[in-house]
Amino acid sequence: MRTIVASKKPAWITLAVALVFHTLLLSVQSSKRADTSFLRGWLIDSIGTLEKVVDAPVEGIENVWKGYVGLVHVNRDNVKLQAENDQLRSELARRDEGALELTRLRQMMGMQAPEMGKTVAARIVGKSPSLTGQALTIDKGIRSGVQRDSTIVTRDGVVGRVISAGDYYSVVQLIIDSQSAVGFIVRSSRRLGILKGTGGNELELEYIDDDNDIKQGDEVITSGQDQIYPKGLTLGVVVFVGPKQGNFKVVRVRPSVNFGRLEEVLCMTEHLPEISTGQAQ
Amino acid sequence: MTGRISTLGLIGKFAISLIAVVVVQGILAYRLRVFGYFDLPLILSVYYGFTMGRPIPSVIIGSAVGLMQDSMSGAPMGTNGFSKTLIGYLAAMAGSKFDVDLPLTRAIALFLFTVGDGVLVSILGQMTGVAPNAKLGSTLWTWLVSGAFNALLGMLMFGYHDRINHATSR
Repeated sequence: MRTIVASKKPAWITLAVALVFHTLLLSVQSSKRADTSFLRGWLIDSIGTLEKVVDAPVEGIENVWKGYVGLVHVNRDNVKLQAENDQLRSELARRDEGALELTRLRQMMGMQAPEMGKTVAARIVGKSPSLTGQALTIDKGIRSGVQRDSTIVTRDGVVGRVISAGDYYSVVQLIIDSQSAVGFIVRSSRRLGILKGTGGNELELEYIDDDNDIKQGDEVITSGQDQIYPKGLTLGVVVFVGPKQGNFKVVRVRPSVNFGRLEEVLCMTEHLPEISTGQAQ
Repeated sequence: MTGRISTLGLIGKFAISLIAVVVVQGILAYRLRVFGYFDLPLILSVYYGFTMGRPIPSVIIGSAVGLMQDSMSGAPMGTNGFSKTLIGYLAAMAGSKFDVDLPLTRAIALFLFTVGDGVLVSILGQMTGVAPNAKLGSTLWTWLVSGAFNALLGMLMFGYHDRINHATSR
Protein backbone atom coordinates (compact mmCIF):
# COMPACT_ATOMS: atom_id res chain seq x y z
CA MET A 1 0.00 0.00 0.00
CA ARG A 2 1.26 3.45 -0.91
CA THR A 3 0.55 6.77 0.71
CA ILE A 4 -0.63 9.75 -1.26
CA VAL A 5 2.04 12.42 -1.44
CA ALA A 6 0.60 15.52 0.20
CA SER A 7 -0.67 17.99 -2.37
CA LYS A 8 -1.95 21.52 -1.87
CA LYS A 9 -4.69 21.04 -4.47
CA PRO A 10 -7.20 18.26 -3.98
CA ALA A 11 -6.97 15.61 -6.70
CA TRP A 12 -10.65 15.75 -7.53
CA ILE A 13 -10.28 19.34 -8.83
CA THR A 14 -7.76 18.13 -11.43
CA LEU A 15 -10.07 15.23 -12.28
CA ALA A 16 -13.08 17.55 -12.64
CA VAL A 17 -11.13 20.00 -14.85
CA ALA A 18 -9.90 17.16 -17.10
CA LEU A 19 -13.35 15.59 -17.41
CA VAL A 20 -15.00 18.95 -18.16
CA PHE A 21 -12.31 19.59 -20.82
CA HIS A 22 -13.03 16.26 -22.55
CA THR A 23 -16.80 16.74 -22.26
CA LEU A 24 -16.53 20.19 -23.86
CA LEU A 25 -14.32 18.75 -26.59
CA LEU A 26 -16.91 16.05 -27.33
CA SER A 27 -19.73 18.56 -27.16
CA VAL A 28 -18.23 21.01 -29.67
CA GLN A 29 -17.56 18.15 -32.09
CA SER A 30 -21.03 16.63 -31.93
CA SER A 31 -22.71 20.02 -32.33
CA LYS A 32 -20.12 21.02 -34.99
CA ARG A 33 -19.67 24.38 -33.24
CA ALA A 34 -15.90 24.29 -33.40
CA ASP A 35 -13.32 22.65 -35.60
CA THR A 36 -10.88 20.40 -33.76
CA SER A 37 -9.14 19.21 -36.92
CA PHE A 38 -6.09 21.40 -36.20
CA LEU A 39 -5.43 19.51 -32.95
CA ARG A 40 -6.07 16.14 -34.56
CA GLY A 41 -4.00 17.03 -37.64
CA TRP A 42 -1.08 18.14 -35.48
CA LEU A 43 -1.18 14.92 -33.43
CA ILE A 44 -1.51 12.75 -36.57
CA ASP A 45 1.53 14.44 -38.16
CA SER A 46 3.64 14.16 -35.00
CA ILE A 47 2.80 10.55 -34.13
CA GLY A 48 2.70 9.48 -37.80
CA THR A 49 6.26 10.77 -38.32
CA LEU A 50 7.48 8.81 -35.30
CA GLU A 51 5.65 5.68 -36.46
CA LYS A 52 7.33 5.93 -39.86
CA VAL A 53 10.78 6.42 -38.30
CA VAL A 54 10.37 3.51 -35.85
CA ASP A 55 8.78 1.26 -38.49
CA ALA A 56 11.59 1.88 -41.04
CA PRO A 57 14.07 -0.68 -39.56
CA VAL A 58 11.25 -3.26 -39.23
CA GLU A 59 10.37 -2.74 -42.89
CA GLY A 60 14.07 -2.94 -43.82
CA ILE A 61 14.41 -6.36 -42.17
CA GLU A 62 11.20 -7.49 -43.88
CA ASN A 63 12.53 -6.33 -47.27
CA VAL A 64 15.83 -8.18 -46.74
CA TRP A 65 13.86 -11.32 -45.89
CA LYS A 66 11.64 -10.96 -48.94
CA GLY A 67 14.55 -10.02 -51.23
CA TYR A 68 16.93 -12.85 -50.30
CA VAL A 69 15.43 -15.63 -48.21
CA GLY A 70 12.10 -15.33 -50.01
CA LEU A 71 13.75 -16.00 -53.42
CA VAL A 72 14.02 -19.75 -52.78
CA HIS A 73 11.00 -20.63 -54.93
CA VAL A 74 11.50 -17.89 -57.52
CA ASN A 75 12.26 -20.22 -60.47
CA ARG A 76 9.13 -22.30 -59.94
CA ASP A 77 7.05 -19.11 -59.52
CA ASN A 78 8.60 -17.66 -62.69
CA VAL A 79 7.45 -20.58 -64.84
CA LYS A 80 3.97 -20.37 -63.33
CA LEU A 81 3.78 -16.59 -63.87
CA GLN A 82 5.00 -16.92 -67.49
CA ALA A 83 2.11 -19.26 -68.27
CA GLU A 84 -0.31 -16.94 -66.48
CA ASN A 85 1.10 -13.97 -68.41
CA ASP A 86 0.48 -15.68 -71.78
CA GLN A 87 -3.08 -16.45 -70.80
CA LEU A 88 -3.70 -12.87 -69.59
CA ARG A 89 -2.25 -11.39 -72.80
CA SER A 90 -4.78 -13.23 -74.95
CA GLU A 91 -7.59 -12.27 -72.57
CA LEU A 92 -6.46 -8.62 -72.62
CA ALA A 93 -6.56 -8.52 -76.42
CA ARG A 94 -10.13 -9.81 -76.29
CA ARG A 95 -11.12 -7.27 -73.61
CA ASP A 96 -9.52 -4.41 -75.57
CA GLU A 97 -11.97 -5.11 -78.34
CA GLY A 98 -14.83 -5.05 -75.86
CA ALA A 99 -13.63 -1.76 -74.31
CA LEU A 100 -13.41 -0.10 -77.71
CA GLU A 101 -16.90 -1.23 -78.54
CA LEU A 102 -18.16 0.13 -75.19
CA THR A 103 -16.49 3.51 -75.84
CA ARG A 104 -18.15 3.72 -79.25
CA LEU A 105 -21.56 2.84 -77.77
CA ARG A 106 -21.10 5.39 -74.95
CA GLN A 107 -20.26 8.08 -77.51
CA MET A 108 -23.35 7.17 -79.52
CA MET A 109 -25.58 7.40 -76.42
CA GLY A 110 -23.90 10.56 -75.06
CA MET A 111 -22.82 8.89 -71.83
CA GLN A 112 -19.72 9.74 -69.80
CA ALA A 113 -17.28 6.97 -68.92
CA PRO A 114 -16.66 6.48 -65.19
CA GLU A 115 -13.19 7.69 -64.32
CA MET A 116 -10.92 6.85 -61.43
CA GLY A 117 -9.52 10.39 -61.13
CA LYS A 118 -6.04 11.29 -59.88
CA THR A 119 -4.42 9.00 -57.35
CA VAL A 120 -1.37 9.15 -55.11
CA ALA A 121 0.41 6.09 -53.67
CA ALA A 122 0.80 5.92 -49.89
CA ARG A 123 2.46 3.56 -47.45
CA ILE A 124 0.78 2.33 -44.28
CA VAL A 125 2.78 3.28 -41.20
CA GLY A 126 0.51 2.17 -38.37
CA LYS A 127 -2.86 0.98 -37.14
CA SER A 128 -5.39 2.48 -34.77
CA PRO A 129 -4.06 2.33 -31.19
CA SER A 130 -7.62 1.93 -29.93
CA LEU A 131 -9.61 -1.27 -29.50
CA THR A 132 -12.79 0.16 -30.97
CA GLY A 133 -11.69 1.56 -34.33
CA GLN A 134 -10.48 -0.23 -37.47
CA ALA A 135 -8.27 2.55 -38.84
CA LEU A 136 -4.85 2.85 -40.49
CA THR A 137 -2.33 5.67 -40.66
CA ILE A 138 -0.89 6.45 -44.13
CA ASP A 139 2.10 8.62 -44.98
CA LYS A 140 0.24 11.08 -47.24
CA GLY A 141 -1.74 14.12 -46.14
CA ILE A 142 -3.16 17.43 -47.30
CA ARG A 143 0.15 18.43 -48.90
CA SER A 144 -0.18 15.46 -51.28
CA GLY A 145 -3.78 16.31 -52.15
CA VAL A 146 -5.40 13.88 -49.70
CA GLN A 147 -8.43 15.27 -47.89
CA ARG A 148 -11.25 14.10 -45.66
CA ASP A 149 -13.42 11.49 -47.46
CA SER A 150 -10.75 10.72 -50.08
CA THR A 151 -11.31 7.13 -51.20
CA ILE A 152 -8.52 4.65 -50.50
CA VAL A 153 -8.17 1.65 -52.81
CA THR A 154 -5.82 -1.13 -53.87
CA ARG A 155 -5.91 -3.10 -57.11
CA ASP A 156 -8.16 -5.61 -55.29
CA GLY A 157 -10.82 -3.08 -54.31
CA VAL A 158 -11.93 -0.51 -51.75
CA VAL A 159 -9.94 -0.16 -48.53
CA GLY A 160 -11.81 2.75 -46.92
CA ARG A 161 -11.92 6.52 -46.70
CA VAL A 162 -9.87 9.24 -45.04
CA ILE A 163 -11.51 10.43 -41.82
CA SER A 164 -8.78 12.79 -40.60
CA ALA A 165 -6.01 14.38 -42.63
CA GLY A 166 -2.91 16.10 -41.30
CA ASP A 167 -0.42 17.91 -43.52
CA TYR A 168 1.72 14.82 -44.10
CA TYR A 169 -0.22 11.89 -42.63
CA SER A 170 -3.85 10.76 -42.64
CA VAL A 171 -6.07 8.33 -40.77
CA VAL A 172 -8.12 5.94 -42.92
CA GLN A 173 -11.33 4.30 -41.72
CA LEU A 174 -11.48 0.75 -43.16
CA ILE A 175 -14.74 -0.49 -44.69
CA ILE A 176 -14.74 -3.29 -42.08
CA ASP A 177 -14.86 -0.71 -39.25
CA SER A 178 -18.06 -0.98 -37.25
CA GLN A 179 -18.95 2.65 -38.07
CA SER A 180 -18.41 2.32 -41.82
CA ALA A 181 -21.26 2.30 -44.36
CA VAL A 182 -20.89 2.11 -48.16
CA GLY A 183 -23.55 2.28 -50.88
CA PHE A 184 -23.42 -0.88 -53.01
CA ILE A 185 -24.80 -2.52 -56.14
CA VAL A 186 -24.86 -6.28 -56.72
CA ARG A 187 -23.04 -6.57 -60.05
CA SER A 188 -25.29 -9.24 -61.55
CA SER A 189 -28.76 -8.23 -60.32
CA ARG A 190 -28.09 -4.43 -60.01
CA ARG A 191 -29.76 -4.38 -56.56
CA LEU A 192 -28.86 -1.32 -54.47
CA GLY A 193 -28.30 -1.09 -50.73
CA ILE A 194 -25.99 -0.25 -47.84
CA LEU A 195 -22.98 -2.34 -46.86
CA LYS A 196 -21.91 -1.98 -43.24
CA GLY A 197 -18.74 -2.93 -41.41
CA THR A 198 -19.06 -5.18 -38.36
CA GLY A 199 -15.69 -4.56 -36.73
CA GLY A 200 -14.70 -8.14 -37.68
CA ASN A 201 -13.39 -9.56 -40.95
CA GLU A 202 -16.70 -9.49 -42.81
CA LEU A 203 -19.26 -6.94 -43.94
CA GLU A 204 -23.06 -7.09 -43.79
CA LEU A 205 -25.67 -6.01 -46.30
CA GLU A 206 -28.43 -3.96 -44.66
CA TYR A 207 -32.18 -4.16 -45.25
CA ILE A 208 -32.25 -7.22 -47.51
CA ASP A 209 -35.74 -8.74 -47.67
CA ASP A 210 -37.19 -11.77 -49.47
CA ASP A 211 -37.67 -9.82 -52.70
CA ASN A 212 -33.91 -9.56 -53.11
CA ASP A 213 -32.49 -12.37 -55.22
CA ILE A 214 -29.01 -12.09 -53.70
CA LYS A 215 -27.14 -15.38 -53.66
CA GLN A 216 -23.80 -16.71 -52.53
CA GLY A 217 -20.96 -15.77 -54.89
CA ASP A 218 -22.54 -12.50 -56.09
CA GLU A 219 -20.01 -9.70 -56.55
CA VAL A 220 -20.71 -6.42 -54.78
CA ILE A 221 -19.42 -3.07 -56.10
CA THR A 222 -19.79 0.57 -54.99
CA SER A 223 -22.93 2.36 -56.16
CA GLY A 224 -21.60 5.92 -55.82
CA GLN A 225 -24.86 6.95 -54.14
CA ASP A 226 -23.19 7.68 -50.80
CA GLN A 227 -21.37 10.60 -52.51
CA ILE A 228 -18.06 9.39 -51.02
CA TYR A 229 -16.99 6.28 -52.92
CA PRO A 230 -17.01 6.51 -56.73
CA LYS A 231 -19.18 4.04 -58.61
CA GLY A 232 -17.87 0.69 -59.83
CA LEU A 233 -15.13 -0.16 -57.32
CA THR A 234 -15.00 -3.75 -56.09
CA LEU A 235 -16.13 -4.28 -52.49
CA GLY A 236 -16.33 -8.04 -52.09
CA VAL A 237 -18.25 -11.27 -52.64
CA VAL A 238 -21.40 -12.54 -50.90
CA VAL A 239 -20.37 -15.53 -48.77
CA PHE A 240 -23.49 -16.11 -46.68
CA VAL A 241 -27.20 -15.58 -47.20
CA GLY A 242 -29.07 -16.51 -44.06
CA PRO A 243 -32.79 -16.87 -43.30
CA LYS A 244 -34.92 -13.90 -42.32
CA GLN A 245 -34.28 -12.52 -38.82
CA GLY A 246 -37.09 -10.11 -38.07
CA ASN A 247 -37.86 -8.26 -41.27
CA PHE A 248 -34.60 -8.76 -43.10
CA LYS A 249 -32.16 -11.47 -44.15
CA VAL A 250 -28.62 -11.73 -42.83
CA VAL A 251 -26.24 -11.38 -45.79
CA ARG A 252 -22.49 -11.42 -45.22
CA VAL A 253 -19.83 -10.24 -47.65
CA ARG A 254 -16.13 -11.11 -47.64
CA PRO A 255 -14.11 -7.99 -48.61
CA SER A 256 -12.00 -8.30 -51.77
CA VAL A 257 -9.09 -6.64 -49.97
CA ASN A 258 -7.01 -8.68 -47.53
CA PHE A 259 -6.69 -6.16 -44.70
CA GLY A 260 -4.09 -8.26 -42.93
CA ARG A 261 -1.62 -7.89 -45.78
CA LEU A 262 -1.98 -4.24 -46.73
CA GLU A 263 1.27 -2.36 -47.24
CA GLU A 264 0.68 0.23 -49.95
CA VAL A 265 -2.57 1.86 -51.02
CA LEU A 266 -3.79 4.39 -53.58
CA CYS A 267 -5.49 7.59 -52.41
CA MET A 268 -7.97 9.11 -54.84
CA THR A 269 -7.13 12.78 -54.56
CA GLU A 270 -9.65 14.05 -57.07
CA HIS A 271 -13.30 14.08 -56.10
CA LEU A 272 -15.31 12.85 -59.03
CA PRO A 273 -18.33 14.70 -60.36
CA GLU A 274 -21.72 13.46 -59.22
CA ILE A 275 -22.78 10.25 -60.91
CA SER A 276 -25.17 11.13 -63.72
CA THR A 277 -28.57 9.49 -63.64
CA GLY A 278 -27.88 8.13 -67.12
CA GLN A 279 -25.24 5.83 -65.70
CA ALA A 280 -27.27 4.48 -62.83
CA GLN A 281 -29.41 1.54 -63.76
CA MET B 1 17.35 24.94 -9.56
CA THR B 2 18.20 21.25 -9.21
CA GLY B 3 14.61 20.60 -8.13
CA ARG B 4 13.28 22.35 -11.25
CA ILE B 5 15.59 20.34 -13.50
CA SER B 6 14.52 17.07 -11.91
CA THR B 7 10.84 18.05 -12.33
CA LEU B 8 11.44 18.83 -16.01
CA GLY B 9 13.27 15.53 -16.36
CA LEU B 10 10.33 13.71 -14.82
CA ILE B 11 7.85 15.46 -17.14
CA GLY B 12 10.11 14.60 -20.11
CA LYS B 13 10.24 10.97 -19.01
CA PHE B 14 6.45 10.80 -18.81
CA ALA B 15 6.01 12.55 -22.18
CA ILE B 16 8.43 10.17 -23.91
CA SER B 17 6.77 7.09 -22.41
CA LEU B 18 3.30 8.33 -23.46
CA ILE B 19 4.35 8.98 -27.06
CA ALA B 20 6.35 5.73 -27.22
CA VAL B 21 3.35 3.70 -26.04
CA VAL B 22 1.02 5.14 -28.72
CA VAL B 23 3.67 4.72 -31.46
CA VAL B 24 4.54 1.13 -30.44
CA GLN B 25 0.85 0.20 -30.15
CA GLY B 26 0.18 1.58 -33.67
CA ILE B 27 3.12 -0.27 -35.26
CA LEU B 28 2.62 -3.59 -33.45
CA ALA B 29 -1.13 -3.62 -34.13
CA TYR B 30 -0.33 -3.16 -37.83
CA ARG B 31 2.48 -5.75 -37.98
CA LEU B 32 0.94 -8.37 -35.65
CA ARG B 33 -2.81 -8.73 -35.88
CA VAL B 34 -3.19 -10.16 -32.38
CA PHE B 35 -1.71 -6.98 -30.92
CA GLY B 36 -4.93 -5.18 -31.86
CA TYR B 37 -6.42 -6.76 -28.72
CA PHE B 38 -3.85 -5.15 -26.44
CA ASP B 39 -4.35 -1.62 -25.13
CA LEU B 40 -0.91 -0.35 -24.14
CA PRO B 41 -2.17 3.18 -23.34
CA LEU B 42 -4.62 1.68 -20.83
CA ILE B 43 -1.92 -0.51 -19.25
CA LEU B 44 0.32 2.57 -19.00
CA SER B 45 -2.42 4.63 -17.30
CA VAL B 46 -3.05 1.86 -14.76
CA TYR B 47 0.68 1.24 -14.33
CA TYR B 48 1.43 4.86 -13.42
CA GLY B 49 -1.68 5.04 -11.24
CA PHE B 50 -0.71 1.95 -9.27
CA THR B 51 3.03 2.58 -8.98
CA MET B 52 2.86 6.30 -8.18
CA GLY B 53 -0.38 6.33 -6.20
CA ARG B 54 -0.65 10.05 -7.04
CA PRO B 55 -3.98 11.05 -8.63
CA ILE B 56 -2.95 14.40 -10.21
CA PRO B 57 -0.14 13.10 -12.47
CA SER B 58 -2.22 9.98 -13.19
CA VAL B 59 -5.15 12.13 -14.40
CA ILE B 60 -2.83 14.18 -16.64
CA ILE B 61 -1.16 11.05 -18.04
CA GLY B 62 -4.51 9.34 -18.72
CA SER B 63 -5.89 12.48 -20.32
CA ALA B 64 -2.90 12.97 -22.65
CA VAL B 65 -2.58 9.35 -23.73
CA GLY B 66 -6.34 9.17 -24.37
CA LEU B 67 -6.25 12.23 -26.62
CA MET B 68 -3.37 10.74 -28.60
CA GLN B 69 -5.35 7.52 -28.99
CA ASP B 70 -8.38 9.47 -30.22
CA SER B 71 -6.39 11.35 -32.84
CA MET B 72 -4.91 8.17 -34.34
CA SER B 73 -8.09 6.07 -34.21
CA GLY B 74 -10.48 8.58 -35.77
CA ALA B 75 -12.78 8.50 -32.72
CA PRO B 76 -14.24 11.85 -31.59
CA MET B 77 -11.54 13.75 -29.67
CA GLY B 78 -12.19 13.28 -25.97
CA THR B 79 -13.73 9.78 -26.08
CA ASN B 80 -10.66 7.85 -24.97
CA GLY B 81 -9.40 11.00 -23.22
CA PHE B 82 -12.41 10.98 -20.87
CA SER B 83 -12.17 7.25 -20.26
CA LYS B 84 -8.40 7.13 -19.63
CA THR B 85 -8.61 10.19 -17.34
CA LEU B 86 -11.09 8.36 -15.16
CA ILE B 87 -9.03 5.15 -15.28
CA GLY B 88 -5.85 7.01 -14.29
CA TYR B 89 -7.62 8.59 -11.33
CA LEU B 90 -9.27 5.37 -10.16
CA ALA B 91 -5.99 3.42 -10.51
CA ALA B 92 -4.15 6.04 -8.46
CA MET B 93 -6.84 6.00 -5.76
CA ALA B 94 -6.79 2.20 -5.72
CA GLY B 95 -2.99 2.24 -5.60
CA SER B 96 -3.04 4.50 -2.56
CA LYS B 97 -5.85 2.76 -0.66
CA PHE B 98 -5.48 -0.93 -1.45
CA ASP B 99 -2.69 -3.43 -1.70
CA VAL B 100 -2.07 -3.63 -5.43
CA ASP B 101 1.25 -5.44 -5.14
CA LEU B 102 -0.32 -8.87 -5.56
CA PRO B 103 -0.19 -10.10 -9.19
CA LEU B 104 -3.75 -11.43 -8.99
CA THR B 105 -5.11 -8.07 -7.77
CA ARG B 106 -3.34 -6.30 -10.61
CA ALA B 107 -4.62 -8.78 -13.20
CA ILE B 108 -8.22 -8.46 -11.98
CA ALA B 109 -7.93 -4.66 -11.89
CA LEU B 110 -6.55 -4.53 -15.44
CA PHE B 111 -9.31 -6.82 -16.68
CA LEU B 112 -12.02 -4.70 -15.05
CA PHE B 113 -10.48 -1.43 -16.24
CA THR B 114 -10.36 -2.78 -19.82
CA VAL B 115 -14.03 -3.80 -19.79
CA GLY B 116 -14.97 -0.51 -18.09
CA ASP B 117 -13.02 1.43 -20.73
CA GLY B 118 -14.83 -0.45 -23.51
CA VAL B 119 -18.25 0.26 -21.98
CA LEU B 120 -17.50 3.95 -21.37
CA VAL B 121 -16.02 4.53 -24.85
CA SER B 122 -19.10 2.85 -26.41
CA ILE B 123 -21.50 4.98 -24.34
CA LEU B 124 -19.64 8.18 -25.26
CA GLY B 125 -19.65 7.05 -28.91
CA GLN B 126 -23.44 6.57 -28.78
CA MET B 127 -23.85 10.01 -27.17
CA THR B 128 -21.79 11.73 -29.87
CA GLY B 129 -23.66 10.00 -32.68
CA VAL B 130 -21.01 7.55 -33.81
CA ALA B 131 -22.75 4.38 -32.71
CA PRO B 132 -20.99 1.26 -34.04
CA ASN B 133 -22.83 -1.34 -36.18
CA ALA B 134 -21.12 -4.19 -34.32
CA LYS B 135 -23.28 -6.78 -32.56
CA LEU B 136 -23.30 -6.69 -28.75
CA GLY B 137 -22.08 -10.29 -28.57
CA SER B 138 -18.95 -9.71 -30.66
CA THR B 139 -18.24 -6.41 -28.90
CA LEU B 140 -18.50 -8.10 -25.51
CA TRP B 141 -16.22 -10.90 -26.70
CA THR B 142 -13.63 -8.35 -27.89
CA TRP B 143 -13.69 -6.61 -24.49
CA LEU B 144 -13.25 -9.91 -22.64
CA VAL B 145 -10.36 -11.08 -24.85
CA SER B 146 -8.74 -7.68 -24.62
CA GLY B 147 -9.20 -7.69 -20.84
CA ALA B 148 -7.48 -11.08 -20.56
CA PHE B 149 -4.60 -9.99 -22.85
CA ASN B 150 -4.12 -6.71 -20.99
CA ALA B 151 -4.15 -8.51 -17.64
CA LEU B 152 -1.46 -10.91 -18.88
CA LEU B 153 0.78 -8.24 -20.39
CA GLY B 154 0.21 -5.94 -17.42
CA MET B 155 1.29 -8.67 -15.00
CA LEU B 156 4.53 -9.13 -16.96
CA MET B 157 5.16 -5.37 -17.03
CA PHE B 158 4.44 -4.94 -13.33
CA GLY B 159 6.62 -7.95 -12.55
CA TYR B 160 9.47 -6.38 -14.50
CA HIS B 161 8.93 -3.10 -12.63
CA ASP B 162 9.05 -4.94 -9.28
CA ARG B 163 12.30 -6.71 -10.22
CA ILE B 164 13.96 -3.41 -11.20
CA ASN B 165 12.74 -1.78 -7.97
CA HIS B 166 13.97 -4.75 -5.96
CA ALA B 167 17.38 -4.65 -7.65
CA THR B 168 17.85 -0.89 -7.16
CA SER B 169 16.73 -0.95 -3.52
CA ARG B 170 19.42 -3.50 -2.55
